[in-house]
Amino acid sequence: MATTLIVNGETKSFDAPPEMPLLWVLRDILGMTGTKFGCGIAQCGACTVHVDGRAVRSCVLPVSAVENRTVTTIEHVGSTPSGAKVQKAWLEAEVIQCGYCQSGQIMAAAALLAATPNPDDSDIDAAMAGNICRCGTYVRIREAIKHAANGRQS
Amino acid sequence: MRILGSLVVIAIVVAGLGAWIIRGPGPLDFAGGSKVALADYRAGKPTGVPARLEKASLVERGEYLAKAADCMVCHTKPGEKDYSGGLAFKLPFGTLYSTNITPDKDTGIGNYSDQDFLNAVQHGKRRDGARLYPAMPYTSYTFMTDEDVLAVKAYLFSQPAVRAKAPDNTLSFPFNQRWAMIVWSAVFNPDTRFMPDTSKSPEWNRGAYLAEALAHCGECHTPRNLGFALDNRKKFAGAITAGWRAFNISSDKATGLGNWSDQDLISYLSLGHAPGHGSASGPMGEAVDHSFSQFAPEDIRSIVAYLRSVPPQPSPDLPATTAPVAPASHRDGVTADARGKKVFASACASCHGWSGESPVSPMATLTGTWAVNDPAATNVAQIVISGTRRHTPDGALSMPAFGNAYTDDEIAAVANYVTARFGTKGSKLTAKDVAELREQTAE
Ligand code: FES
Ligand code: FES
Repeated sequence: MATTLIVNGETKSFDAPPEMPLLWVLRDILGMTGTKFGCGIAQCGACTVHVDGRAVRSCVLPVSAVENRTVTTIEHVGSTPSGAKVQKAWLEAEVIQCGYCQSGQIMAAAALLAATPNPDDSDIDAAMAGNICRCGTYVRIREAIKHAANGRQS
Repeated sequence: MRILGSLVVIAIVVAGLGAWIIRGPGPLDFAGGSKVALADYRAGKPTGVPARLEKASLVERGEYLAKAADCMVCHTKPGEKDYSGGLAFKLPFGTLYSTNITPDKDTGIGNYSDQDFLNAVQHGKRRDGARLYPAMPYTSYTFMTDEDVLAVKAYLFSQPAVRAKAPDNTLSFPFNQRWAMIVWSAVFNPDTRFMPDTSKSPEWNRGAYLAEALAHCGECHTPRNLGFALDNRKKFAGAITAGWRAFNISSDKATGLGNWSDQDLISYLSLGHAPGHGSASGPMGEAVDHSFSQFAPEDIRSIVAYLRSVPPQPSPDLPATTAPVAPASHRDGVTADARGKKVFASACASCHGWSGESPVSPMATLTGTWAVNDPAATNVAQIVISGTRRHTPDGALSMPAFGNAYTDDEIAAVANYVTARFGTKGSKLTAKDVAELREQTAE
């Protein structure tokens, strides 16, 4: 069955079973491997992408649920205003350790800033709690989000 | 001697009266109209298959009816071959396993004659004479016509024979005494075929046949009496079955189906989802995927017509109206359960949203569902524990099972948070309650 998605601004059509998770489509069919597979059960956040601008876990999202909707991945988030700010702040704060969780962290943080330009700690908790980092970069993530938010104001 | 005699007579009368009182009305007695034998009913054909299958082969007709009766879900253990049995039913007094109903001669029903099969399905009698436990809903299937039962048999016999022996039941005394089911059956099995009601429309009669004889809605949605049989005085008032709450499907305006539009009901039955009412999961999700979604549209409409006629039964523990959409920001709305909020933020918010209206799919919207508006939070906890996997004609949707990822305490906290945020009244589940719910669904 042909499915159509708008991924990073481009219309993509491909054959995939309706229940195939969006993550599989992105990585295996469309060859975009920036989005990572961590747990496959909505527990770690490594697979976070944006659907219509909101952060979702692509590992549990059947592709049929996002038919014809707009998907943004780590490959393209840098061209959104909040994504660019987040990536810049990430580099400045040297957030990344091994990096495995980081595409998910950046996607979650970019969606947070797009919706809540000046998040406080509770906003960061609410938006980022589902993104696990086994290297423990949480402190730097929080710092970088605040930094990115301030950068937006200046 | 005489006194003894009268005592015995009195005892028998009392026992009979007691049984009669406990038994209560039959599933269709509420309609009250005049019943006629099927052969004498001229207004339509309430039994059999829909018009488009009238000319189909016996096996095809049987397939439709087997799906309408939803044989597969109970007679298939997840991951095993269709109809090969072995699914566990956890009861308070032990575990029952469903049987292999493939045509395998040793472990299935390959040796069943037509009469053997009728005996099992309509009368609860196994080929070797042993009695079936009413986990097999023969008290509903008894309303099926012989013709329909035998069409189902033809379909089952067209399936591949699978060699698979179900584990032995582990029922405790006295429930392991199968012979006692003779008495149970005598009291509780109406043991009669469907009789149309001439005061009702042909559509209603078709709906009654489908809902009562085949789909056996009451087996989950009608509370049980002292004898563990359906209490039709509270027909369709809702009940807990297999650890999940089957909600009120009587015509009660507030807590039943009274305020659902026809379109809502049609959509819920055929797709497992109705906007503003949520999605079917757990046992009802399975019933939709394997059974209702396969029904002909006119059959769904008949069931709807029938459901509408069932007298209202209030569910006093449910709110009169479901809660509106929650605030979009995590800061607003209830904040009481900090632990629950934390779990929600980590595991739930990315699909269900902070408002309860899902950013990913209307099927994942929590707002308006009975599950989150049930102050007991039974189904919320269940779905968190076991997740859901649905294949509807609308596409697929799944929720992971979080039962192994979170402790009982965390699951209780998130259920309490979810019911408080998205429902009318927060639940007060404890870790112990969650452990018990797990027990009831554990395989
Ligand atoms: S891979 Fe999707 S949340 Fe872990
Ligand atoms: S940087 Fe290694 S898992 Fe997060």
